[in-house]
Amino acid sequence: MTDIIGVATTRHAYVLFVLLSAIGLYMMIANKNLVKKIIGLNMFQTGIFLFFITSAYRIGGSVPIVEPGAGPYVSPLPQVIVLTAIVVGISLTAVGLALTIRLYTEYGTLRADALREVIGDE
Amino acid sequence: MSVTGASAVGLLPIHSVGITPIEVSLFVFVLLTAVLTALFRDVLASIVIFAAYSLGLAVIYTFYRAPDVGLTEAAIGAGVTTVFLLLTIAKTTRPASDARFEAINWPAVGICGLFVAVVAVTLPAFPAVGDPASPILTDADVSGYYIANAYDQTGAENAVTAVLAAYRGFDTFGEAIVVFAAGVASLLVLGREVFTA
Repeated sequence: MTDIIGVATTRHAYVLFVLLSAIGLYMMIANKNLVKKIIGLNMFQTGIFLFFITSAYRIGGSVPIVEPGAGPYVSPLPQVIVLTAIVVGISLTAVGLALTIRLYTEYGTLRADALREVIGDE
Repeated sequence: MSVTGASAVGLLPIHSVGITPIEVSLFVFVLLTAVLTALFRDVLASIVIFAAYSLGLAVIYTFYRAPDVGLTEAAIGAGVTTVFLLLTIAKTTRPASDARFEAINWPAVGICGLFVAVVAVTLPAFPAVGDPASPILTDADVSGYYIANAYDQTGAENAVTAVLAAYRGFDTFGEAIVVFAAGVASLLVLGREVFTA
């Protein structure tokens, strides 16, 4: 039991990463509305970003703006890959939402189950 | 709490690792907004709460000494994503809601619980959050190299900028191509490839 509490209080941000990813996954599976599925996808992504940022963190470290005599710093590398991933993520969201709008103009619904019926009838 | 934590895991002397009150309050805020986003039936309410969630995460990133990422998350996660989502429901529909919350889908909860369990068993193998002895921070050939040489080799004081624009310049160029491709794809899908203002 102390082990579990110990892991939860020292790996707290990793625990949050798991929970946020799980909530995002839940939204993608359980919510019928396509817009909410895309919000879930974004939430899953942000959970993973949190994982990267946490892995770069150092207690007492400073922002990686290098000055003589300062330091220690947090690691800049995971932060850079997250910056790239955020921009790729918004591109993904934009295309997903464009497809959602197109589906709505073609079939008049945003519910995944209703869409499956309408498309199955054709 | 942190005392038990560090001694139970035995990685570090006590004083350095462990959850702080700032982290607790931010985590509670982010988790609460995440759950509400999932459960609210009204899509507009979900979108607004999701913007608050992104803002909370931006603060967490800043707390973890990643202000570049925090700013990007605030601008793109809380700003642009919210605008795109609002535009989408403006162009489509916002389902009339009689109930305030969605019914909970228990099979989906089971699958997500399984996901949590599988990932959670790996958590003890991670170094503690912020542990200065974790491999990513002690490896002088990787993180240490960029910190030591970024300014001399690129002239950028901010090591994040140096890596993004200089060391990984081609990767960032590829990212710009992704954004361009996404813009073209969105216009194609929406049938607006011809601009006739």
